[in-house]
Amino acid sequence: MRHRWLALLWPWLCLAPLAGADERLHYPAEPMTGTSGELVVHGALDLVYARPLFEAFHARHPGIALTYRNLDTLSLHRRFLAHPDEVDVLMSSAMPWQYRLANDGHARPLASPEAEAWPAWARWRHELFAFTFEPIVMVVRRELIERFGRPESHADLLAMLERHPEALRGRVVTYDPERSGAGYGYAIQESRLTPRYWDLVAAFGGARAALATTTGEMLAGLDDGRYWLGYNLLGSYARAVADANPALEVVVPDDYALVTQRLALISRHAPHPDNARHFMDFLLGEAGQRVIAEATPLGAVHPALEGPGTATALQATHGEALRPVSLGPGLLATLDDLKRQALLTRWKREFTRTDAASP
Amino acid sequence: MTRRDSLYRRLLTWLLLPLMALGALMVLQAWIEARHTADRAFDRLLEAATLAIAEQVQWQDERLWLDLPPAALEMLATDTEERVFYALYDAEGRFVTGNADLPGPPRRDGNDENALRFRDLVWHDLELRQGVRRARLEDWRARERFEVRVAHTREGRERLTGELLRANLAYILGMAGLAAAVVVLAIRGALTPLSRLRRAIRARDPRTLAPLELPLPHELAELRETLNELLARMRRVKANQERFIGDASHQLRTPLAGLSARAELALRQDDPQHWREALEAMQATSARTSHLAVQLLSLTRLDNPEYHPELTPVDLDALARGAVRRHWSPCHRAGIDLGLDAPDSPVTVAGLDWQLEEVLANLIDNARRYGATRITVRVTAAPPVLEVEDDGPGIPADRRLLMLRPFHRGSDDPDGSGLGLAIVDGIARTHGARLRLDDGLDGQGLRVGLHFPEEIA
Repeated sequence: MRHRWLALLWPWLCLAPLAGADERLHYPAEPMTGTSGELVVHGALDLVYARPLFEAFHARHPGIALTYRNLDTLSLHRRFLAHPDEVDVLMSSAMPWQYRLANDGHARPLASPEAEAWPAWARWRHELFAFTFEPIVMVVRRELIERFGRPESHADLLAMLERHPEALRGRVVTYDPERSGAGYGYAIQESRLTPRYWDLVAAFGGARAALATTTGEMLAGLDDGRYWLGYNLLGSYARAVADANPALEVVVPDDYALVTQRLALISRHAPHPDNARHFMDFLLGEAGQRVIAEATPLGAVHPALEGPGTATALQATHGEALRPVSLGPGLLATLDDLKRQALLTRWKREFTRTDAASP
Repeated sequence: MTRRDSLYRRLLTWLLLPLMALGALMVLQAWIEARHTADRAFDRLLEAATLAIAEQVQWQDERLWLDLPPAALEMLATDTEERVFYALYDAEGRFVTGNADLPGPPRRDGNDENALRFRDLVWHDLELRQGVRRARLEDWRARERFEVRVAHTREGRERLTGELLRANLAYILGMAGLAAAVVVLAIRGALTPLSRLRRAIRARDPRTLAPLELPLPHELAELRETLNELLARMRRVKANQERFIGDASHQLRTPLAGLSARAELALRQDDPQHWREALEAMQATSARTSHLAVQLLSLTRLDNPEYHPELTPVDLDALARGAVRRHWSPCHRAGIDLGLDAPDSPVTVAGLDWQLEEVLANLIDNARRYGATRITVRVTAAPPVLEVEDDGPGIPADRRLLMLRPFHRGSDDPDGSGLGLAIVDGIARTHGARLRLDDGLDGQGLRVGLHFPEEIA
């Protein structure tokens, strides 16, 4: 049975555009009193984001010899199932997979003050903790805004696509849910949020939207002007590119905006459970979250933190619209083989609806 | 047990222990009931989830197809964030889809269509509650059977069980506390008359022997009546003692008054011959008086209930022979025929020889004094009896008991003290023997016998 859902996993790989083979960070222990020993963290978190986080942790606990391996979500998952006693902490953006591991009892509960204080919507059973807050956004080019105005919501986007399918032909890009795990995940969430999602898919089809597999690919196309509008981009990455290119604007839709979160858990068979707890306490504590808020675009969840790069700030501006993917058994449905096939069939049917209607 | 035995504690123990056992039983039952209720409530979730999944099962591409509704799984996770498992199996029990290859309940033959079953399951060290629904497609062409299995962990059930149990526990504890209080109060109330009786007895004037008069429940009323009977007996004993003292002092006063009068009379005379006569008379009187005093003393001692002399084996046969030998010559001089009727073998009883000798002396003396002409001392072996029979006037049957009272005399013989038979009675009681007064031979005279208990070898 396992091979079936592992086969399903490969598109998740694409979520981490910079992931290479076995990227590592290693901080040797400095002899000192206090905490010591080793800590092994596996994550699907690019080194550029992971480094400030681990450096800060190492500064706090220099006695711990720290090893971080950056893997793609599929390898991460497969390697964990093969050797659950090799790793202490597992961090991944593949929410359904992380949820499934915890649901199957692979996670060790964490009962520390930091874990207790963690907002209930961002954790599951004290086993699974969401430590980032990344909205799914639209990125639009200035050309589009000048011609059709700035789309502020899904309804605006749908109206624009339906009104100007010819003008926008090939100018819109979004995830290919068939080849991208993230794109499939967003599709399943959006289809649950509103039935009008299918009209949007049909409108994308009508505008002959380009289909990409990663946020990076879409950003590259937007950056060089091939596309005028990107739909469902990972906000953390989009923000960095948009800040560098004045022609690009990030739009957080004001009717609804999905929020994806990276999930961390401690392995039940962690070889160094105490150090794993230290790391989780750091990750969920104010210090670690401040690093996430200030040194990465991932978005800090900690409710005490305010200002740019925090969930609190985002909620203040887009509070009503934000829809964090709920940490619940609904995520398991995402992993269902038949469910996936059913959704993709529907998606393709809707995407080609316009063609079928006007051959 | 070093603790003092107490009615209160005994009642408390035997009422509260079963009460506690009953309470424990109720708690156990409440727990079972709470678990059952929680299971029933949460099984509705399993039922709804299996139904929601079963409704989405279709026949598509020549196979069973499921468009899994995420809400079906989400309804299985409540506030306690249960772990959730689901799986779909086809008619042959082959896994179609799901997140866990859950074991199913044993397949039953027959047409249990749309059957829904719940069971507890331990799977991969997880305690699960499983709901299994068997159904079949309601399609035009395909009527394929299938089975939906869902399961979730028990946290929500346990929390509800805990809540229900806590509510029940508060109720049971309240009831138990109330029951215990009622029991304690009831026991206190029931034992109050006892304290009242105790106080009434304690508050009494120690000198009075009047009966207790206070209303009591009938169990204690019996005790009160028994006490009152004892008091009545004590009153009679006291009356007897007072009369005895009165009689004794009267008996002693008479000879002392005689002595005093005689001495006074003699002092008016000058003749030494008169003095001598007076002294002789006074000596006889004082001898009689001192004999009387000795008898009173021994009677008093015999009447003392605390007096338990150590009894030794006494041969009645030898005793009777000795007594006859001692009294034979005075009797013979008075023309009385004193005889012995005893077996040759010794008859042994437990007793005090000097007391039994006094019995014989008293009885022989009495018989002589009341004018018998023939006295027989008789010993029989089985049962051991020591008796003295005479042919004197005898005592009418209705007066015989009276004769045992001190100072009660059969005649007005001035020499008799009236203590003889009373002393014999006392000695008989000391020996555990029965004193019998019967008619003598041919219905004449008197036969006084000490019937000893038989078991003494």
